[in-house]
Parts: sequence; structure tokens; C-alpha cells
Amino acid sequence: MERKMREYEERRLESVKLASQLLLASATTSPRVGGIDEISIHVLDSRDAIEDLAICIEKMADDNPRWDFFRSDAVQVRDADVVMIMADRRSGHDPMDSNCNLCGNLLCDAWRDAERVPDAPSVAFQGPFCLMRSMNLAYALNGAVTLARQLGIDHAIKMSVGVAALRMDLLPYRCGIALGFMASVTEKNPFKDLPKKWAEYNNETLSNRLIGRLFPTFRSIYS
Amino acid sequence: MSIISGDELLKGGMDRAVELMAIAANTALKFGHPKIRMSAIGPEEFQDLSGYCEGVAEISPLFNRDGRSFLDLAKQDTRALLLGASRKSVYNYDCGACGFATCEELNKAEEVESFINGPCCHFVVYDVHMAANAAAAMAHYMGLQCRVFVTIGVSAHACEFIEEVDFAVGVGVSYQARNPFFDRHKYWTDEEWDKKFAEEFPSFTRRFMGAVE
Repeated sequence: MERKMREYEERRLESVKLASQLLLASATTSPRVGGIDEISIHVLDSRDAIEDLAICIEKMADDNPRWDFFRSDAVQVRDADVVMIMADRRSGHDPMDSNCNLCGNLLCDAWRDAERVPDAPSVAFQGPFCLMRSMNLAYALNGAVTLARQLGIDHAIKMSVGVAALRMDLLPYRCGIALGFMASVTEKNPFKDLPKKWAEYNNETLSNRLIGRLFPTFRSIYS
Repeated sequence: MSIISGDELLKGGMDRAVELMAIAANTALKFGHPKIRMSAIGPEEFQDLSGYCEGVAEISPLFNRDGRSFLDLAKQDTRALLLGASRKSVYNYDCGACGFATCEELNKAEEVESFINGPCCHFVVYDVHMAANAAAAMAHYMGLQCRVFVTIGVSAHACEFIEEVDFAVGVGVSYQARNPFFDRHKYWTDEEWDKKFAEEFPSFTRRFMGAVE
């Protein structure tokens, strides 16, 4: 690669890492219900970690017929420069005790005794979770989104990223629910304008098919 | 140009600000496309909310605290943007977070009616609260005093200021010089506060941890 272009590429990746630090700050300082700390934010900024996550998401697509969209999510995760995971380490076992009924149990004590969804590959989160607590995830996500909009950084939020992070044990002990935020600093937003069948026809598969597979055949026949 | 008084400027600005907050909430990034219902309330409605909060103050100290301050907020021309949605899932994620293995099971589950009608889909709640946070961020950029209240949402739902929703949240905004939503010490006397603290954290004032008195 041309020296100047390599330098630009390095600066671009540095910039998104710097931005992720600011996004983490904004997500951390967003409001919390009752001012109780429970959200931790984990940043994946190495290519390897992001690729592992994408592979895990792609594998999960077979676990539930409703999760076909995970295949396109995996492509978007690969295109992201930084993935942030908002993890909720309290709502699975320590309810708000406000008897709010968001979860459908009139009393938090009833929630404590409620039957949990059994562990199965087709289950993402073993609910029920305390919704009054886990709405902090929404605040943390929107804290990052608001600053990303200000900074002009392309971003997306994904449920599949949270599930994959949980299954890969990337999150704190006893964390039962997590959601993902992805940021990208590229000229074309990789999270928008996704054509149909994006999992099949994307930059990577096109390059693999056209340049890696078809063009060498073409070249060997016609030379 | 005619002279516009400071009061008029503030009130006019407040009307525009609430409209802009609604726009920010509507365009906030969300997981899906739930039907989020919005409405705005003003000082008169705050008085009704205060009455409702007083009614449930006995069973909830949170409503007790907010109910007392709503009466003052009504005098200070405070507004609130209400956001709410139906509790059912429109996402088809089958994620299990609500306690049901599939979205269909949640949507068919029996509704439990209360302050908030449950059980709710997690992602509907996330989307509504992300919209609320976006509205709060917009208010923050405009320099308004702001706080997100679940109590406003619950009591506005009960007073039918927002309709066709199962749960709601309110974003209170004010143009007062002092933020009326935080540090509300005037609603407790010092004696009341000392008594409450001693009740809730009895071990704090003990000489030794674990000492028998």
C-alpha cells in the first residue's frame, strides 16, 4: 500500500479508538434508574476480537429460525471498527424492589420466585430480568448514540452482539443480559443501505468470489 | 421590532423546546419500529399528577417525594414530554429476556394490570427509554433543566394524559435558573431526614460494627 494511504489507514483506526473512549465516557455518565451503578461497558477494538464475535453471531443464526438476521448482523460486526458491549450485571438477580409490574409480576418477591427460561441454544437471555433495572441499558446505549451523532461517527445497535458476548464469556460474572453498540469511521456507513441478502452479497463475499475465485479462472483460460 | 418581555421569551422558547424534544425522541435510534405515543403536559396537568402522587404516597416513598415537588413545579411553568408504548413485542427476536421463550408466548400471556401493565417486551421498553434519553439530550443541548421521571409516566398514564399505552415515562423540563428536579431538600425537615436515615441505616451510627447494644 502507498505510504500515505497506510498512514491514513492507521490514523483512521486511531481516531475510532479515541472516539470509543469518549463514547464509553458518555455511555457511563448517562442516567441510571435510582442512581445505582450496574452497567459495565466492554470495548472490543482488535480485529481478532471483533472477528471472533462475528463468527459466534454467524453460528448462532442456526439456533433459532427467527435469528436469520444474525447473518447480516455478523457482516456488519465485521465492518465495524469498534464494538462496545453494554452489560447489565444486576438485573438478573437483584430487582429494583419498586413493585413496578413492568415484568408482569406485581411484586418483586414474585419475580424472585418466577420460573426462569431454561438454558437452550434458541434462548438468548434467560429471563425474566428486572426491567426497571435493565432500562439502564437503553440509557447507556443512547448515551453512546447521542455522542456518536455529535461526533459524526457511524454507529448501530445490535441485540445479537450482546448475546454473542454472553456466550463467549466476555462479560462480568452474573451478567445475564447485554446489548451491543458498534462504531465505524469509514467513508461509507457500513450499517446503512444494506441490500437484500446482505449476508450473501457483501464486500467480503464479492471480493472472495470475483477476485479470489472467478478472476483467476478467467485469467488462466484467457492467457 | 416590538419589545418582547423576558417571560414571553421563556414561555415561547419552552413551547418550541418541547416540540424539538418530541422530534429528537421520534428520530432516536431504536431497535425496531414500535408505535411510540407522545404527548406533552404543562403546569395544570402537573397539579393533577401531584394529586395522584399524594394518593399513592402511603405505599411509595418515591411518589411521596415527587408528588410534593410536582405542586411546586406546577407553579413554575414546568412542562413534561410523555412517551409510552404498548407492552407487546413487535420484534420477533425470541430472546427470552421477558421470561417467555418466544415473542408469541409473551403477546398471548395474560395481562397484569397495575400502575404499569405487564409483562412488557424488553425491547419496547428499551426503545421508549432510548427515545426519552434522546429527548433529554436535546433538552440538555438547549440548556434546559431536565430529568427523566418514571413517576410522571405512571401518574400521567393513570390520569389519562397519554392514551393507548401500557407503560410510560416522562421527561420533565424547566427553564428556572435553579434546577428544580435535583437536590430537593426543602421537602424534608432536618428532623424528618435524621429520623428516616436512622431508620434505614441503623448500623451507620453504631460505635462498632456488629456491637451489641
